[in-house]
Formats: sequence, C-alpha cells, structure tokens
Amino acid sequence: MRIIADYDRCEGHGLCVDQAPDVFDLDDEGDLVHHFDSADLPAAHEAAARRAVDSCPVAALRLA
Amino acid sequence: MSPRDVVVVGGSTAGATVLRELRSRGYEGRLTLVDPEPGTNRPPLSKAVLADASAEGSVQMNHTSLDVEHVRSEACGLDHPNRTLLTADGGAHAFDALVIASGSRARRIAAPGQSGELVLRTVEDARRLRDRFATSSSAVVVGAGFLGLEVATAAAKAGLSVTVVDVDPPLQRLLGTYLAAAVCARATALGIAFRRSGAVLVGEPVSGVRLDDGEELLADVVVSCVGDEPVTDWLHGSGVDLDRGVVIDGQAHTSLANVYAAGDVAAVRVDGAVVRGPFWANAVTQGRVAATSILGQAVDHPVVDPYFWTEIAGLAIKVVGPLPLEGEPRVLEDAGSGTGLLAWGSSTVVALGIRRSVPRLRAALRDLSVAGEPGGA
Repeated sequence: MRIIADYDRCEGHGLCVDQAPDVFDLDDEGDLVHHFDSADLPAAHEAAARRAVDSCPVAALRLA
Repeated sequence: MSPRDVVVVGGSTAGATVLRELRSRGYEGRLTLVDPEPGTNRPPLSKAVLADASAEGSVQMNHTSLDVEHVRSEACGLDHPNRTLLTADGGAHAFDALVIASGSRARRIAAPGQSGELVLRTVEDARRLRDRFATSSSAVVVGAGFLGLEVATAAAKAGLSVTVVDVDPPLQRLLGTYLAAAVCARATALGIAFRRSGAVLVGEPVSGVRLDDGEELLADVVVSCVGDEPVTDWLHGSGVDLDRGVVIDGQAHTSLANVYAAGDVAAVRVDGAVVRGPFWANAVTQGRVAATSILGQAVDHPVVDPYFWTEIAGLAIKVVGPLPLEGEPRVLEDAGSGTGLLAWGSSTVVALGIRRSVPRLRAALRDLSVAGEPGGA
C-alpha cells in the first residue's frame, strides 16, 4: 500500500500527523513531510495511515 | 468506569473525528455508527467538487479501518433512562456513551409546496448544481455568506452570469469591512454582481427571485445559501437541553449523563451565552473533546476553535482567531496587490491571498499574543 500526497492541495491542517505520526509530519514551515512518499508503507502503519487519509479536510491524501 | 459500548449518530466530520479519536486513543470496545450514509467531508463540496466531478471521490468518509458497526438508518429517538438509541429501521441500540453528531440541514426559503429550490449541503446537491451550471447561462445566489460566495465563484468560473442577493453587504457581518471589501473587489472582477435586498423565490418550479423593490431577477439556476438548521427533531422529548442546537459544555457533554454532542448540531454554552459555530474546525475539535471526555482523559483541546478558510473568486482566506474583524488590520507581511499576512489586535491573524500553513498561522498568532501582553516582548 502506498499513500500519495498532493502537496499543492495540502493546507497544513495536520490531522494526518495526529493520526499517523510515524508516516507524516509537518516541518518548521508547517509543510507536509511524508516519510514514505515513494515507498510502500510498512504494514504496521497501514491502519493509522488509512485514518490519516480519511481525516484530511482538503483531500490531499489518497491510497494507491 | 470506562465505556464498552459507544454509539455515534452521524458519520461526517464531527462523528468521524469521534470514531477516529476513540480508536487512536486506545478505545477497544464496541463502536456503532448510526447514519444512512457513510458521512461527508464537507469543505470540498462548495469548492473542488462544484468545479470538478473527479473531486467527488474525496468527500465520502471511510470508516473501514476503525472496526465500526455501521447501522445505515436514521436515528429517530433517544430513550435516555434506558440508555438506548432508537433507529428508523426499528433498531434499538444500547450504549454507555452516546455522541450526537447528527449535523444540520440547509435552511430553505421556498414557499410551502413550491418546488425546485436548490441548496448545497450534500454530495447530491453539489452534483446537481455542477450539472445545472454546465447547461445554464445565468444564476442567482440568495445569501452572501461564505457558502453563497463559494457557489457564486463556481458558477462564474463555469461561465454563468451571476448575481448574489443579500440584505447585508457580502461577508461584512462575519469578516468586517476591510476583508469584505477585498473579497467584493475580487468577486466583482470575476463578473459577480451584488444586489442589496431581501429575496423571495418566485416561479413553479423556482425560476428567480423577487427583490424588495418588486423587481424580479430570473435565472436558469437559483440557489439558496441562507444558513443551516441543526438536525434535532429526533431529540424532542428526550430531555436533552436544546437551545439553537444540542447544548454542550467545555467537555462536549450535554445536559444528559453520558450523552455528548459535537459539530454542526451542537451549541456551546460559554459564560451563560449559547453560541453555535457550524464550521469545520469546531466539528473537529468538538469531536476530539467528546472522545477524550468519553474515555475519562484530560481534555486537551478547546471546545471552540476559531479557524476557517475559504476561497472566493480565486482569493484564498485563512483566519485564525475570533470574528468579526472590525477596523483596519496591521500588515505583518505585504505580498503585494493587497495580499499578505494581516493581524487584527492580538487575537486574530489572517492569510489573505497567500499560501500559509495552519501551524505557521497559529505560530504567528502566538507571537502576537505574547507581544500583546503587558511586559511581553
């Protein structure tokens, strides 16, 4: 499972970070950091990552 | 005693937040969602979804990762003495904690029996509007609030000639004169016309509006964006305190034991006054507070979060801090052409026409608050 982030759409609300802190972070500028941007997600993070995708208010994250 | 059976009525932003927060905070008991639909992530409806069908996929909530039993029915009654929620399909669902997140519905202004009034609240509404925009050349939008102006923007960008009608100047009641003027200038440049008047829907089906001076504006599409009404009908007789919505305190707790409320259906009692703020950020923070309270954990979020964002006629606005914004702002950063980072007093920061992440805005606000305190930097 992969998660695709649309960085142009991201507004930095940070709900994904609350849900999946091992997958997402916000840098000092408040911009999205996606730790598995071009890699398969470890199975241990999948449930949290799904919650993160569902929590995004601007639909900037999607499963692939 | 920690709950083992939590029932949540409504799966949109507030309810979905409760479900997610309960699980991410370690709740392992039963979770039941009562909602005919999966729930809707509503902010994109009046923005991306009105412009682009492909954005629809992003708005349906998905609770499959949360081990939730989804009862696809309406809540129709609350039997509090027996800790039971009743559903329209005849179901009776026992709970030891209940969250009311039944949201609100669009307020309507059509006369009784008058058909064809369009509103924007659901995915179906957005789809219908988008389809109508594609085959129409003119639109009248009743209501010059955020929703009305977002709808007007989508209509104008779809090539329609658009008139927005409201008794008040666009957005002025919420945003104050400075931002309202900035928004109006951009909207006018996009071809949106404004009329200051009350409006009565005319035609069967609705084909226009009659203004206070008797003039009738006819249009292919007439959309009412005149506010929303909390869905509380099903709670009458339950004993829960209702005033503009389901009244909650700082713990998202209602007047009934073990019953919480969050989001558009809720109204917060602050210092004796009851205020309903049907914005996305309130739905999220109240969902978090409700989940925290249910689990008996220390509440670490405010029950009201004054943050919202909008985009009108290509002008993005993000506000952190309370409204309305009276008078002139201080310019913290000038990005040219009237855009930049603005501050009203030491309580509200606005990103106008610039990209600025929410954490940075909140940080800017914290800096202001520190600087604004006596003896501060």
